[in-house]
Amino acid sequence: MIRMRRVTKIYKGNVYALEDVTLDVEKGEFVFLVGPSGSGKTTLIKLLIKEEEPTSGQIYIADTNINQLRKWKVPYLRRKIGCVFQDFKLLPHKTVFQNVAYAMEVTGKSRRLIEQQVPEVLKLVGLGHKLDAFPDELSGGEQQRVAIARAFINRPPILLADEPTGNVDPSLGEGIVRLLEKINSTGTTVIVATHDKNIVDAFRKRVIALENGRIIRDQDRGVYGYE
Amino acid sequence: MNKIKYFAGETWASLRKNLILAVAAIAVVTVSLGLLGLVVMGWNMFSNMIKNAERKVGEVDVYLSDLSTQEELQAIEAFLASIPEVDAKTIYFKSKDEALQEFKERFKDQPELWEYIDENPLPNSYQLMTKDPKDVGVVVGRINNEAPYRERIEDIKSASAAIEKLENIFDKFRQIGTVAVIALALVAILLVSVTIQVAIFARRREIGIMKLVGATNWFIRWPFVLEGVFEGLSGSLVAILVVMAVKVWILDRLIESLQFLRLSFSSGLFAVLVPCILVGGVVIGALGSAYALGRFLEV
Repeated sequence: MIRMRRVTKIYKGNVYALEDVTLDVEKGEFVFLVGPSGSGKTTLIKLLIKEEEPTSGQIYIADTNINQLRKWKVPYLRRKIGCVFQDFKLLPHKTVFQNVAYAMEVTGKSRRLIEQQVPEVLKLVGLGHKLDAFPDELSGGEQQRVAIARAFINRPPILLADEPTGNVDPSLGEGIVRLLEKINSTGTTVIVATHDKNIVDAFRKRVIALENGRIIRDQDRGVYGYE
Repeated sequence: MNKIKYFAGETWASLRKNLILAVAAIAVVTVSLGLLGLVVMGWNMFSNMIKNAERKVGEVDVYLSDLSTQEELQAIEAFLASIPEVDAKTIYFKSKDEALQEFKERFKDQPELWEYIDENPLPNSYQLMTKDPKDVGVVVGRINNEAPYRERIEDIKSASAAIEKLENIFDKFRQIGTVAVIALALVAILLVSVTIQVAIFARRREIGIMKLVGATNWFIRWPFVLEGVFEGLSGSLVAILVVMAVKVWILDRLIESLQFLRLSFSSGLFAVLVPCILVGGVVIGALGSAYALGRFLEV
């Protein structure tokens, strides 16, 4: 599903964000991408949604080389990849329902389909009773569930989460990842970038560890492994 | 249909948020297009007046080459007198010297124009009147095609000097008006583009999220394009109201009270002017948004 071949990303000022990264993630996998801040996790995610271009190396998503993707096709790539961020990126003046519906509106889905699917997905993430609430009326954990619902609403084959538990109460972080696991069980490939040791250790999934932009470990059913 | 409703809603919400700026942009569009309307109306009115005046004044000047012999001149004069539409009594030979004298008289405040002339550059000429002012064109045509020693006739002028002067003045008026309209239209485009820039800035977070969830570039751009076009169109509608008000309440009355000037509007002028103002508004709005989108919306 995702293939990176010798990918290097150098930012201005000769800063190596990623160096010679090669990895494969198969369809339906659940992967933790771990490492301290500044190790290149976020850069890797930005490269996958083509928000940044690699300095060298090739990236394939579903057998398409996205380096060669035309600019106007980028939105269609992003429809295949749901994204969840540490800061939720919800629109404050829209309700929970409207925030999720937004992802369907911008891709031109019909009103009827929106009315039908948005409550379904919000129910799946456990917010079926808060359709008309505004984001600032929700806890961090609930806001992140809205963001996950929005990322999942168009049933993308890939879901990327960058520090999804970073702004969530520690006791609720596990629930967020459990939700991502539930989405993974529908066949969606899920990659979670995190430096939350407890969560990684609790779930025992495949772990890819980054340090200074290099992959230092890739292990199935792994643990966080840093102190 | 769903999309159109969505775009219209987004555009409207954004306009309301930047109300003051949007009103300013609309006002400048109105001023620039309103001025365009006034210049066109004024120009049309006066050029019709000049046309009417030309028809009234049946004066024709025939300028002659300095190489003409006495016999040639006599032949030309005889020919002029023989044209049926010409009032033969009015044929008058104005010599070079007389022309120069007249010139000096006219420019006596600017002696540098003639002081250093050794040789008189002005030609001899015949001046005549037609029996009926409307026959000026016929007479000029006959002289052009039938006169003997045609090569001795250097130029034929039918407009009187006064009308020429007026035409010069109105040409200036039109040129200044055109420059002012273009300058104001540029200001209007810039101001529309500023409102769009502000709208883009106000919605940068939303734009980021739209990109994230896979909105196409044009899906993101449309509301801003519509916003600019709406501003241009609103401005042009107000401009049309202003132009029509000026016509009905000022110019029509002027035409009526100054009947001796024979001012008038060409029929069909407004059928052209009104759509032109509308199109002008749309173009100003579209260019303003295009400029803002090109510079400030990285999609």
